Order: sequence, then structure tokens, then C-alpha cells
Amino acid sequence: MPKNGMLIRITLAVAAAALLGVLAVASAGAAGKNSSSGSLSGAGSSLVAPAVQGAWGPAYQSAKGVTINYNPVGSGTGIKYISARSVDFGASDAPMSKSESAGCNGCVQVPWALTATDPVFNVHGITSGKLRLTGLVIARIYLGQITNWNDPAIKALNRHLSLPNQKITVVHRSDGSGDTYAFTDYLSKVSRAWKRQVSKGTSVNWPVGEGGAKNAGVAALVKSTPGAIGYISDFYALQNKIPVARLKNKAGRYVFPRISTIEAAAQLVKSKGIPKNNAISITDPPKSKKYVNAWPLSTFTYVIVPVKTAKAADLKAFISWALQPAQQKAIQKDVFAPMPQVVLKAAKKTLKKIHS
Amino acid sequence: MELLAWLAAAVAVGFLVLVVWSVAKRGVSQLNLDLLTKAPVPFALPGVKQGLANAFAGSLVLVGVATLMALPVGILVAIYVTEFAPRPIRHGIGLVLDVLNGIPAIVIGIFVFGLFVVGHGQSGYAGSFALAVIMLPLVARATMEVLALVPTSLREASLGLGAPRWRTTLGIVLPQAVGGIVTGAVLAVARVAGETAPLLFTTSIVGNQVSWSPSHALFSVPLAIFELSESPDTADHARAWAAAFVLLMFILVTSLTARWLANRSRRKLRRAAG
Amino acid sequence: MSTFDATGNAVRRPFSGRRTRPGDVLLQSVAGLAALGTVFLVGLIVYKVVEGSRLSLSTFGLGFLAHVGWDQPHNRFGAAGLLFGTALTSVGALILATPLALGVALFLTELAPRGIRGPVTALVETLAAIPSVVIGLWGILVVAPVLRAHVMPALHSTLGFIPLFGPPGPGPSIFTAIVVLTMMILPIISSISRELFVGVPAELKEAALALGTTRWEMVRGVVFPYSWGGVAAAMMLGVGRALGEAIAVAQVAGGVNNVIGANLFNGGDTLAGWIALDFSNSNPGLETSSFFYLALILLVFSLVVNLVARVIVRRVAPRQGLAR
Repeated sequence: MPKNGMLIRITLAVAAAALLGVLAVASAGAAGKNSSSGSLSGAGSSLVAPAVQGAWGPAYQSAKGVTINYNPVGSGTGIKYISARSVDFGASDAPMSKSESAGCNGCVQVPWALTATDPVFNVHGITSGKLRLTGLVIARIYLGQITNWNDPAIKALNRHLSLPNQKITVVHRSDGSGDTYAFTDYLSKVSRAWKRQVSKGTSVNWPVGEGGAKNAGVAALVKSTPGAIGYISDFYALQNKIPVARLKNKAGRYVFPRISTIEAAAQLVKSKGIPKNNAISITDPPKSKKYVNAWPLSTFTYVIVPVKTAKAADLKAFISWALQPAQQKAIQKDVFAPMPQVVLKAAKKTLKKIHS
Repeated sequence: MELLAWLAAAVAVGFLVLVVWSVAKRGVSQLNLDLLTKAPVPFALPGVKQGLANAFAGSLVLVGVATLMALPVGILVAIYVTEFAPRPIRHGIGLVLDVLNGIPAIVIGIFVFGLFVVGHGQSGYAGSFALAVIMLPLVARATMEVLALVPTSLREASLGLGAPRWRTTLGIVLPQAVGGIVTGAVLAVARVAGETAPLLFTTSIVGNQVSWSPSHALFSVPLAIFELSESPDTADHARAWAAAFVLLMFILVTSLTARWLANRSRRKLRRAAG
Repeated sequence: MSTFDATGNAVRRPFSGRRTRPGDVLLQSVAGLAALGTVFLVGLIVYKVVEGSRLSLSTFGLGFLAHVGWDQPHNRFGAAGLLFGTALTSVGALILATPLALGVALFLTELAPRGIRGPVTALVETLAAIPSVVIGLWGILVVAPVLRAHVMPALHSTLGFIPLFGPPGPGPSIFTAIVVLTMMILPIISSISRELFVGVPAELKEAALALGTTRWEMVRGVVFPYSWGGVAAAMMLGVGRALGEAIAVAQVAGGVNNVIGANLFNGGDTLAGWIALDFSNSNPGLETSSFFYLALILLVFSLVVNLVARVIVRRVAPRQGLAR
């Protein structure tokens, strides 16, 4: 017989070490687990992640003992996962499209937070809130028609600034995203050329530009590239201290994204009403006194839940908890605006449909 | 010209040293027990202790189950090829193993997604199966090689003493080859422990708690590195480096040890044959 | 490396012509079943990928390969931009890796002092064991910034007249992907080449040297001509590895799927990279099916590459050391 003694001994030693490792991790994992009565898993929008993972999750855990596992994989992906029922809830900033709605097979979408997408830029010497843009100019930049910061179209809006002769580097998301949906939804409303050529969606066929992965990737690219323009969730712009441009709304005012201007845009639902499926678009509110201060790139973000689910009770409890004034208030520091009463009402009404 | 060849070798070794050093430099300082024992805390305030316990636990389970799937099948394939198959079939299966080995990991991910995940959802089993598909040709090839080194005289002697074929194969030939098979399996484990692409669509939707059950989706170390590498947060990068360091050390130590053992046992077999 | 190893050649059929017993039949059928299962598995992979891409195949046909752009709102998808990116990265990596790999192989067979041959061989092969996600992490956080700040501007200012070396873009780039892929395929090509060079008969080399040629002339006149076929096969396998790599490319290349441009310093993407990046976000129906179509293209590429490499080896193996 061969002399495998050495080999076998080494194998045994390695196996023993591995086993010890497993035991160590296992016991640590067991110790880390508290006596939670249950857990909910969700995936989707990274825009709402600061609320779900940062604020609500830990608070709900300590208040009710239920763990919220949330994975910010992107809105489109979130819809896909809830459609496959691999999570208990999905989250998306874009309302489900007709085919997505059919594919989800009996899902409802409940608006549960209100925030904004921001156009961000990196031009030397120009700070946040100083640069003024219109939707049409942004559309032309993203169509590749305006390529330099000293273009007359940009100059005309910014007489108060000295704009450099510098190439504009367009940055967009490389993955599917609710921010992309809000952004392209807005551009489709203000630019016919955009609507025809590109249209709106969680991922589109970009005419020009560089791709960055997730909000983080776009933030990093814009920050590191002089002359860059991009769009990201308000929270990430704030967190990464990236300059945000003012946008001209239909009322003709140059506004800056903040709680009050997002709230102003959300008043649109009062006149527009809320459709049965809760799909609300509040980008580019019309020209009216009511919306003089409205931020035109505001967006509701939704939690998507199957109507019939074994976790109905847990889900209803968590979502109605999140809709309470205290929880809505807790996320204002991350620039989520309070939702209008009509929306809250519609949300609660939809929640009632969920059963096990 | 000789200088250029020296230079090329220096560059190649330099690549390795650079990667390992980069990972070590950034990873070691971040290394602590929290990495292995604490779960991640998304959007945590600075100072909150967190780690990647769920990723390490998940990787252990995923790779373990994949090994249980691939190892017996791979060994049986090798036994069939070296001990039973007629020549044309032997070549045919060799070709099939090469083809399987050449299929990109991301395609295997898509395949397993279409096979198991559509309609059933993600699970650790689906991820393990995808890893097992990658392991199978590696294990089979390694076993075939070492079985071929077992001297024919040994088989003939055993048969001559009246032992049946199956006894000879399982009782005489296989034990001779056990060293080579173990090293082949260890190399295959080292290879799939770092695979990301097959897990991306099969077992990636996970919570932040440690889980050991492959009937649900499990997190994994490569996936954790992939996700953290795209973050702008330097604290996330730090954890990515630390996890990469642990993964790299595991892979380097196991594969170098396995290679050394393989050479040893092969030499021994050759000597016995010679 | 034993990719070509027609295993078992040394083993004669020791069992032929004996009476069979139940145990023998059992073992043979169980083992045969495992082998059959492996063949079935490969068939199943092909079938599943084709089945998944059927909708896209019937909608776009071969036009899919020529259409540039991935347009979700209009449900119009095409692979041309990704095919271009795949070709660019694979060829680029091959051009960088092949001379390096041959240099390494020559060093290890002809130049290196005996004592360091073993360790250096082991080190170079260890490079192949580093997971792609770790190389990608290193690529995105360490290599990319260095390339962007120093290498790209330098190449642009000296070689800028070549369209490949245009003005450096802002971030992720095809060039970074090429560098990362070069590292991954280098050990594949070098270890096969090393085996080939070892297989060159010593008498040939000694004869050349005895004729008074320098060592380099001997390499050029004897070693290279003797092994070029095998080197070509090694390059094929390197390409196979490069075009199938998804994770590291997804990390560094930038996810730009609809641009066909020569500038290596701009973002781009490959078939595999784009699947890794965006498959999870695809809409059910035509878009998901189009991703399966991309996987099908990759599958066909990998089959072709492996078979061609095999054919080359068959042709040249008899006179080279590949088939042991």
C-alpha cells in the first residue's frame, strides 16, 4: 500500500481547522441572533435604502423585534425579485409598467416615501445651487447636442457665472434604476426629441455618456471628473457633497431640491387624483401658482407587495408602521419629504387588500 | 532578447506580488474578529461594529454542498473513463469535459437561473449546483490523470489473484490514487470558492443575518467583495479588502499545498510504476 | 496543465476478456451513468440557453448581432456594441499577454537558473488561482486611478495620432479591462508554452548551438518554429478565458453597451460583463430572452475556441510534447 499517512494527516488537520472555523462562525452567528419573532426580506430601490435600511430597519427591530432584511439591488431588479417571490416585498421608484404588473401576478404598489433626484455637476469654481439649468438644456446635453460648458444655451441661463470652455462629460447609470426612471420621465415631458429618441424607463439606450454603477458609481464619477454632469438621488448628493444644479420649473422659477420644494411638487396629486394602481408621476408639475416652488424632479417611491401572501400580517404591520407620522418624520434628515394626506390615505386603503 | 525574457518573467511575478501585496496591505489592517462574527449593518453610523459573517457562512455552505455534489460524480466519471470505457468513448468524454470546462462561468449562471431559479426563486442549492458544474470537469480530469498513473501491473496482479473488477478498482486502484484525488478536489474547491459569476443570479438576494440553510439564498464572500467594490464609502472598501485578503489567503494556501502534495504523490506513483 | 491530455493512453485494457460479475456490472453502470450524466449536462446547458433565447432569436434573428444598442423602453436590443467591446478587450489582452507569456516560458525553460525554475513556475501559475473578483477589486480601486492619472495621458500624448489612444475618459475604460484581462490570461498562455518549449527535443537545440548560433537565434530558429502550433492553441484558450470573463470586466469597464469607437480610454462593455451588470434588471419577455441570446453567443464562442484549440493540438501534438 502507498504511504499516504502524511497526506491523510494533513487532510485531517485541514478538515479539523475548517470544522473549527465553521463552529466558531456558527456559534457567533447564534449568539448574535436575538429573540426576534420574525423577519421580512425586501429588495429594490437604492433611493429608499437610507430610509429602509438606515432608519426604519433598526427602529422596527428594537420596537417590534422583527428584522427587516433589505438589499438595495435597484428598482428594476426589485420588481423582478418580488415577481419571482424570492423576497417578501419589493421596492421601486418607478411604478410598475403594464408588463411588470402582469408579471408580478397580483401585486399592489404602495407609495411609502417621497424624495427627489438631483442633477449634479462638477465645474471648477461653481458651487451647489449656483448653476441654473432647464430640463430642455439637460435633454440636449444628454442627447449629445450640447457638448461644452460655454455653450450659448447654458450661458443664457447663467449670466451671473463665468462658464469655462470645457467639454461636458455626461454620466448616467449603467444599471437599471428608479432614478433613471424619474430622470427620463422628466426629460420625456420637457423634450419631444428625447421622448421620441430615448423615452423613459429604468434603463434606456443612452445616446452619449459614461456609465457608473448605482448611485455610488455615478457620484464617484461626477466627483472625480472635471466637467461632468450626472443625476443621483438627493440623499447621495448630500452625503457625497456633490454640487446640485437649480432647475427651472414650469412656473419659471429656478428651484433647489429640499423638503419644501419636493413637498410643493407633491401637491400635484391633489388636483391629479390618485389612480387605482397608485402610479403617481409628479415630475414637471404644470405652470400654476400652486407649484411656483415645486422641484420638477420629485418622485414617490413604492413598496410592492403580493396581495396574497403568507406574511400578510407582518407586512401590513411593518408598512403601516412606516407610514406613521413619526417614522415619516424620522427620515426627513435624509431628505424624504412628508407625503400628502391623500397619498397616505390611498396607501392605507391599498394595504387593506393584502391578505394571507 | 534574453533581457526581455527576464523582464517578462519579472513582470509576471510582479503582477502576482503586486496583487497580493495590494490586498494584504489594505486587508490586514482591517482584519479583525468582527469580520467573521458580525453581520453587516447597512447605512450604519460610524463606529458601529460590523462584519461579513453572513458571507463567510454562506460561502462555507455553498462550497461544501457543491463539493458533495461534484466529487462523487467526478470520481465516477474518471473511473468509467480510465477503467471501463472503450477508446472512442474515452476521447468523447474527454472532449465533453474540456467543453464543459471551457463554458464561461456567467453562462453557467444563466443556465442554472433558467433551470432552477425561474419559477422557484433563488436558493443556496441552485448556487451550489452552479458551482458543482464548474467543479465537475476539474475533479474528473484530476482523478483521470492520477488513475492513469496507477501501474497496470497492479491491476493485473489483483485480477490474477482472482479479485473481481469492481474490487480491484475500488479496493486497489482507487486507494493508490487517493492522494491525487484529494489534491484535485482541494484545487477545485479553491477555484470555486472565489467564483462570483455563477452565484450572481442564483443566490444573491439575501438578508443581513447569518443563515446556514441552503434552501434559501445565501450570501457569499466573492459576491460581498463584488458589491462592496462598487461602493463610494471607504469603510465598505475596507471590508472588501479584508474579505479579499481572507479569500486570497485561503485560496493561495490550499492551492499551493495541494500542488505540492500532488507533485509528491505523483512522483511516488511514478517511482512505483518505474 | 493537462487540458489536452488524452488521459489513459498509458493504460491498456487490463479487464478485457474476463467473465463479468454482478459487482462489476454495477460499478460499470453507475460510473457509466455518471459519464452519461456529464454528457447530458452539457446538452442540457446548450438546450436551456437556446430555449431561453428563442423569443429573441425569432424576433431579431441574426440582425441582433448587427444592431447597436440596448433599448429597454422601445424593446429593441442588439449585441453589436458588446461584440465590439468583447473583440477589443480580448484582442487587446492577447496582444499584451502573448509576448509576456512567451518571455516567461522562455525564461523558465532556457534562461532561469535551475534553483528558481520551480518557484517561479509555481508563482506564475498561482496568478491563475486569484479569483477574478479580487483582481477586479484591485483593478477598480488601485489600477484604474493609476492608469487614468499617468498611463493614459502619457499614451495619448505620445501615440495620440492612433485613434486607439484618444483623450482619456473620466473613469471606467476598455483599457483598464484589457490590463485586468491580460493578467488573467497570461498564466494560461505561459504555462502551456512552457510545456511546449520543454518538449522541444534537446538534440535539436544542441545541434543548433553547436553550429555556433547564439541562444536567441536558436530560440528563433528551433524553439519557436517547433512549437508555434501549440502556442496558437494556447492563445485560443487565452481568448476563450478573456471573452468569458464577466465579473472583473463589469467592475472596471463601465457598462457602456452602445458605442462602437476606437478610443480604448472610453468606457465600454463586453457580452459577459453586460450580462453580469444588467441581467437582474431585465424585463421579463423579450429583454430577458435577449440576455439569454447574449449567453448563447458566448456559449458558441467558447465551444468554437475550445474545439479549434483541440484541432490545432491534434494536428501538431504528434511532434510536440502536448499529448503525454
